Amino acid sequence: MLRVIGSKLIRLVPVLFLVSLATFFLVDLIPGDPAANLLGAEGDIDDLEAIRKSLGLHKPITERYGDWLSGAVTGDLGDSLRPPHQPVSDLLQSRAGPTLRLSAMALGMSFSISLFLGVWSAHAAGNRADRMVSGTMFAFISVPTFLAGLVFIFFFVFRESVPRWIWVILVGLVVLRLLYLTVSRWWEDRRDLSGWAGYAVAALVVAGLLFWVFVQWPDFPRTASHRYDDNWREQLRSLFLPALALALSEIAVFTRLLRADMLSTLQEQFVLSSRAKGMPTWRILFRDALRPSSFSLITIAGITLGRLIGGTVIIESIFGLEGLGKLIVAHGVIPKDYTVVQGGVLVLAVGYVLLNAIIDISYQYLDPRIRRGRV
Amino acid sequence: MSEAAFGTIAQGEPEIRGRVSEPRPIWQAPLLPLGIASIFVGTMVLNDVTAEIRVLLVLVGIAAGYLGLDAVCQRRWGAGFDTSAWLSGFWLVLIGLSAILVQWLPLPESKLVKNALRETPRLRPDLFSGHPLGTNDQGLDILGGVMWGARTSLIISLGAVAIGLVIGGIIGITAGYFRGALDSGVGILADSMLAFPPLILLVAMATVFEQNQWTMALELSLLGIPTYIRLSRANTLTFAQREFVLAAKAMGSDNRRVIFRELMPNVALPMVSYAFLITAVLIVAEASLSFLGVGIKPPEPTWGNMIESGQDGFNFRDHPHMVFVPGIVMFMTVFALNRVGDKARERWDPREAQI
Repeated sequence: MLRVIGSKLIRLVPVLFLVSLATFFLVDLIPGDPAANLLGAEGDIDDLEAIRKSLGLHKPITERYGDWLSGAVTGDLGDSLRPPHQPVSDLLQSRAGPTLRLSAMALGMSFSISLFLGVWSAHAAGNRADRMVSGTMFAFISVPTFLAGLVFIFFFVFRESVPRWIWVILVGLVVLRLLYLTVSRWWEDRRDLSGWAGYAVAALVVAGLLFWVFVQWPDFPRTASHRYDDNWREQLRSLFLPALALALSEIAVFTRLLRADMLSTLQEQFVLSSRAKGMPTWRILFRDALRPSSFSLITIAGITLGRLIGGTVIIESIFGLEGLGKLIVAHGVIPKDYTVVQGGVLVLAVGYVLLNAIIDISYQYLDPRIRRGRV
Repeated sequence: MSEAAFGTIAQGEPEIRGRVSEPRPIWQAPLLPLGIASIFVGTMVLNDVTAEIRVLLVLVGIAAGYLGLDAVCQRRWGAGFDTSAWLSGFWLVLIGLSAILVQWLPLPESKLVKNALRETPRLRPDLFSGHPLGTNDQGLDILGGVMWGARTSLIISLGAVAIGLVIGGIIGITAGYFRGALDSGVGILADSMLAFPPLILLVAMATVFEQNQWTMALELSLLGIPTYIRLSRANTLTFAQREFVLAAKAMGSDNRRVIFRELMPNVALPMVSYAFLITAVLIVAEASLSFLGVGIKPPEPTWGNMIESGQDGFNFRDHPHMVFVPGIVMFMTVFALNRVGDKARERWDPREAQI
């Protein structure tokens, strides 16, 4: 066990080294002299030399890489070149909050939605409902994130009655189905309370939810501002649309994965014995079968979080969120502030590598086959 | 956007494939003419009714028409007939043809504003007018823009896939065949390439290179190369243990012959079948860059910069077709590529076939 973890950690070192090398030299390729760029067209030639000296540009490139790397290891990524000259690490820290919150919310949404969709469509595998869910998920995978963001802005902000009535129709269909089940079970055997009462309660709950959401329908803002940092309700409201846009393709990925795993779990003997004992369906699905099927879902959820943190740049710029991605583009790439680009890309890439390594290692602990071997 | 996305599309439908399903009942066939009629009414007859009702009619028409077509096709070619995959194939052919033929078509101006000064800006789509898909806020024709955009998208993404296929394929096959230190070195290289958030990496590279079709193809190929390294390596591992490789070695082939004559033809087919899925991802990446304003820039229309030009303020609220027309075309192309790619991979990836 320790040896496996050790070898994985040792493998990290060259990857991290290559990542830092690529980050440094990629940015070094930017055409033009950074110092001249900084000075602008009206600068003095003497100032140019001074700036070059202060940036350390007169040193050979290997030495500059060494300086930058030793700084980066101790958490000093240099100062941004544009005024106000803030330390890059401070900038990154102040912008990490919105990105992390957005990614976490997107992950949570996709997780909870796909849990129900995946379990349900595995239960109803091959039915019309299952085929509809599968088809919809296939379509979701094909929607580019920025397009999803724009579609949500259009419908939730500019034509807000459309999603509201879609909600009523979709959830209304669920309520009708539950009512139908209640009545038909009641008709079969009205003394068998456990047969129909559950459906009746479920229908009531879902109808209540339908009505509550319809009445409470919030105004979604066009731009998700971070002004409401202290008010969690405002924050949920302003992050809802960007998170949903990010979650869309993840919902599809998770649902397909969970459905496939769940289908193979449902073939197992213990599910059969559970059924034979007469356990209610929801209990078999959510108590017995879900846990052994959720393994690869959990693995990919961790990877997804890392991917989301790096991938929010376009959603951040559509919704005007001041996050990491927007920092790198708006303060680094466009004004050619190369310390910001270097620092931001390095932090994101290293974070992604480390997160993946942690997941990889925890896999060793989580894998039931290994656990069984230890007991 | 990355490995995980390919991986899960590649999950496929392993379980109920063996099951023989019933063909869609033939009584649904009349839905086909009904659907076409509904689309027809929605697009041209009710010109004065509000846009929402027309859009609804078209959507209902498309759904009904699809069900009807499905019923007819399944009746004709059996229950296993996959109508949506065939439709996806037709769509891809259409996009490909329009990308090739656009320069010879008599379309209104879709690139230079100075040639479109007489056109009415912000025309709604009307299939039987001079601007079938409408005009944008500067009077440029959207149909023409979409077709030129298809050409740019296809050149960039297919070019990137081709570069990735060749470079990644060769590296992957070599690593998978020789194993050892070379293999672990290549693994570390692929891991480091996958460590960068793709969009951030592309944006950073956009500042380094002058952006045109060819440099963008080169940049995007960096997304494809690590995936192709892993794919070809994994496929090589399965093939390298087969008898025909052993036989070739026993007959005295050197390594180069084994790689190029024995392994390459076998590994090539599954890799090409993945090309559809990777093309889909790269089309989205290219559109994202153009959308952010660091890709192909406006006088040259692309799907990404057309969407960007329509997405601000009142234009978007009151004239959403400037976003939705290129958006729907892009979505359909990506969807079709995923659908066809899924089929191709199912058919040609040996690892999939073994399951």
